[in-house]
Amino acid sequence: MSKNGAQNGISAPTFWEQYKRKPLGMVGLFIVLVYIFVAIFAPFLTPYNPKQILLADRIAAPVWFRSVVPQYNDAPSTVRTDLGPNEWTVSEATGGKLSSQEQDGKTITVIGFDPVFSGDVIAEGEADAFEDSEFADAYEKEPDMSVVELSYVVPYTYSPPKTFGLTFNYWIDASPDSKTELQFVIETPEGKEFNLWGKSYSGALGSQPARIDSRDLTLKQRLGLTIFDDPAPRIFSSKGDYRLVLTAKATSGEEPTRVCISDTVFYIPGMVHGVLGADHMGADLWAQLVYGTRISLSIGLSAAAISVAVGTAVGIICGYLGGVVDEFMMRVVDVLMAIPTLPILIILGAILGKSVWNIVLLISAFAWMGTARLVRSQTLSLRERVFVEAAKASGASDAYVMITHILPNVLPLVFAGMVLRIPSAILTEASLSFLGLGDPRVATWGRMLHNARGFGAFTTLAWWWLVPPGLAITFLSLAFVFIGNTVNEILNPRYRERS
Amino acid sequence: MGFSRYVLRRLGYAVIVLFVIMTFNFAIFRLMPGDATKMIIDPMFTPEAIAELKRQFGLDDPPIVQYLKYVGNLLKFDLGLSFSTRRPVVNELKERLPNTAVLFLTSFIFTTIIGISVGVYTASKRGTFGDNFVTGAGLFTYAVPTFWIQLLLLMLFGYYIPILPIHGTMSAPPPDGFLLQALDRIHHLILPAGSNVIVAFGSWALYTRNTMLEALGQDYILTARAKGLPETTVLRHHALRSVLPPIITLIFGALPGMVSGAVITETIFSWHGVGKYLMDAVMQQDYPAAQGAFYLIALAVVICNLAADIVYGIVDPRIRVGEGGAK
Repeated sequence: MSKNGAQNGISAPTFWEQYKRKPLGMVGLFIVLVYIFVAIFAPFLTPYNPKQILLADRIAAPVWFRSVVPQYNDAPSTVRTDLGPNEWTVSEATGGKLSSQEQDGKTITVIGFDPVFSGDVIAEGEADAFEDSEFADAYEKEPDMSVVELSYVVPYTYSPPKTFGLTFNYWIDASPDSKTELQFVIETPEGKEFNLWGKSYSGALGSQPARIDSRDLTLKQRLGLTIFDDPAPRIFSSKGDYRLVLTAKATSGEEPTRVCISDTVFYIPGMVHGVLGADHMGADLWAQLVYGTRISLSIGLSAAAISVAVGTAVGIICGYLGGVVDEFMMRVVDVLMAIPTLPILIILGAILGKSVWNIVLLISAFAWMGTARLVRSQTLSLRERVFVEAAKASGASDAYVMITHILPNVLPLVFAGMVLRIPSAILTEASLSFLGLGDPRVATWGRMLHNARGFGAFTTLAWWWLVPPGLAITFLSLAFVFIGNTVNEILNPRYRERS
Repeated sequence: MGFSRYVLRRLGYAVIVLFVIMTFNFAIFRLMPGDATKMIIDPMFTPEAIAELKRQFGLDDPPIVQYLKYVGNLLKFDLGLSFSTRRPVVNELKERLPNTAVLFLTSFIFTTIIGISVGVYTASKRGTFGDNFVTGAGLFTYAVPTFWIQLLLLMLFGYYIPILPIHGTMSAPPPDGFLLQALDRIHHLILPAGSNVIVAFGSWALYTRNTMLEALGQDYILTARAKGLPETTVLRHHALRSVLPPIITLIFGALPGMVSGAVITETIFSWHGVGKYLMDAVMQQDYPAAQGAFYLIALAVVICNLAADIVYGIVDPRIRVGEGGAK
């Protein structure tokens, strides 16, 4: 190579002219640009956040399965309704009314009942007589409880679901002598009623969470089912309009009774969801894939850049200075190269803690040695060239010569090497994440595969969970291999066989 | 410089590498944040119990004494007690080493044979489908995550078409009779070893093909053909012979990577071997066990590297001359 003269003769436009003519290089570039586009515009490609859970049933299939797989023909999508005062329709109201109230940024459904004895206070004597003689009679003759019935229509057009749920918070403001009854009922299109939940209280009540879950044993017992029966398919057995009915009955005391209900969510988890389905927590897999692009690209690029920068610096310094420094560093390189990479990364990853930054540093720490060797050997020959001798003779310092004369001449080699280093960094990161050593806070392709293996992709035969992340990794790596080889062909024709 | 001096030199170098790995191994588990003892020592224990436990695990000495003891113990193959099972780590490793060796050797032998044969075959059929296939397979090997292919094969043959066992090295309980037991083990071996072969053979084939093509362009091949020798003879006796040295070098050079890869393969297929032991130990923060397993894997890699150097010296005499000349 000493006959070629300085190698940094190729200008950017010339390089691009040559690059354009290589089909594989262009394919690689195109694929990488697509990935970069996906990484940047991830929020526009999916409405979901990769961490958002309970979007669908666990391991839901992709939504396009409906038109492809017969058994998914009318599999349910997720039905999820937040029920506020505006959604409810008042289907019956005697002695009470529906209103709404803002509290802590939430809109609360309030069912208010007038105080029973308002404007008609009973005299002392009358009260005594009431208690003494006609007690039993009076009790029976007590006026009917005031009733407010709210209903909401849920159109359900799918095959029976596996589960459903209804959650809300409620509290009652009332005087101690009041009585209140609450009830949740689902009415099927055929008019059949399922009494899901009911409570009765005397007096006031602090905020209570209510959670109706079709898998709950108490609900099954309430509906007269055994532990092995599933309420969801029995209730939602046909297609049509289902009515959710919330009934509040109250006999107010001296104060008006107010039944307050907030955070009401009715939820039927879908068995199909989104472009790629959902994971074991009901999180969107397409969102994870799309956001995973960001992590893979940034880890791949930064780990490759750091390792190649370190390798280049070590290579130039060793090659140019020679002597003890060179001897020592080359032995360090030898030893590091003899350490099995993946096992040491596993151990160090577990010890140093799971973060993206740690992974980048670890991958870089065990990937710079090849570049160092290559750059060193190149520097050894560059050192003997006339232009370096001339620079030295005119009094240039070592650092100056290394930066202005050696570095530009090794850059073409280093650049191609860096591109070819990216796929292995991406694969290493994926392996570590797959083994559970990745950052648990971010969605990565390796982590998707980790979850798929650990949380039931195999037993449910959810190939749609397993295939996409691997394809994403493969195409991205392949694209960088194409680009790297093409760059190598143009810049370093002599090194074509090496990586 | 003679060959024996070259070997000695490489041997000395291997010892240094081992020593560095050993020291590193010692340091990393003691310098880490937190206390290695927190896994085994409950703060509720009495001070006497803590002292006794620390003594059992050799954690009560000053670091330099610990280090010397550690080196001494390693030389006696004493790797300490596992935190989680309280058994000597060396015994646990001894149980697992044969399994790892079986998986490794099977994968290795089949990858070599299939890779080289495919490479030789396609070199003789330039430009055909097979030729393109090998180029594709070589690229594929470089770009595809090995563990992903293994997961796909596991799902396909373990769950969709459940004809192969999904985990372990043998059935529990094992079948009666030696022959049935052997068959049972082979049955369990197909998926892990087969997946290793599928993922790795491509790069071997590509390398062999390229080396073969280079050799086939040489003058002596032209001579052999001109003599009217059949093409298979030309391939086997002339071309293959000249490409064997670089291929043998490649074979030994690929060993360390395959040893490292055992961790993932064994984890995926729950193969009762050293790699899975390392992974489990790391996950359970069982440091003596992780240390022992890592040391064993590093030892295997160093031995492979040494073997590669020696074979390299045998097939290419220039190396040992160069070794004496340079430096």
